Amino acid sequence: SEMSKDMMPGPYPRTPEERAAAAKKYNMRVEDYQPYPDDGFGYGDYPMLPDKSQYERDAWYQWDQPDMRHNWGEPMHWNFDMYIRNRVDTSPTVVPWHTMSKHFLIFLSTMLIMFGLGAIYPSYRPVGPKQYPFNDLYLEKGGDPNKEPPAVIHYEI
Amino acid sequence: MATGPPPSAAKLYRPNRFVSLPAELDPDTYDSSPEKRRAEAERLAIRSRLKRQYQLQLNNPSRPAIIEDPALLRWVYAKSMNVYPTFRPTPRTSFLGAAYALGPLLFWIFVLKADRDRKEKRIQEGKYKRPFSVF
Repeated sequence: SEMSKDMMPGPYPRTPEERAAAAKKYNMRVEDYQPYPDDGFGYGDYPMLPDKSQYERDAWYQWDQPDMRHNWGEPMHWNFDMYIRNRVDTSPTVVPWHTMSKHFLIFLSTMLIMFGLGAIYPSYRPVGPKQYPFNDLYLEKGGDPNKEPPAVIHYEI
Repeated sequence: MATGPPPSAAKLYRPNRFVSLPAELDPDTYDSSPEKRRAEAERLAIRSRLKRQYQLQLNNPSRPAIIEDPALLRWVYAKSMNVYPTFRPTPRTSFLGAAYALGPLLFWIFVLKADRDRKEKRIQEGKYKRPFSVF
């Protein structure tokens, strides 16, 4: 492309003049421009924009790129490809996050503990051996029809 | 001893990395001081200047095939080619580099080696039944 070297991002701005020049380069106000802290992580002078996803932008404004809700020339977030509308969404929720996570963790832990206890200490209804009619199915099991079948009693008095 | 005023709705909401504060709870929406209006006016001026540039290129009868977005080019450059020149080895970056690059490697080396040694011991003792597989 035919953009010059000074239009591209550079190292961290040290003097206020460098900050003003960087703000102008990124099409931002000097007061709005806030570079990432100089921790050596490789950000350079790229501005630190608020971590809001593209979902939070106005849906009814006439953006230049409506699907990404982004205007031409507007500085893009460092994680822009994460904050597009198909991916991470940081829109405010009706219920606060800590309430939601608390409810979910309480439910999940209760269910897991109950399942675990049920696996360690199973309990069933009492069962006994199956009882068959007709003297324990004497004829069906190939008993002699002429002989008297042995009496089978399944109860005790 | 009386407690202080009840915490504001914004404090109760506790926005974090995953959700941001709703505009209704943000005190910034209700602040219409002249400084804020001047800031908004300046931002609007920048925005309309950029929009004008873009619309002029867009509605040009001999429009160029691709309208380059300098913000996009700067973003791509910053993420790909500006990382190495601006990187600096600090204690934190060195630790994170070691943790992310060497950590999983060493972890899996030791896990797999221990697993193989245990299997080898079982084979030597004769307790291991080799699985039959056509593939």
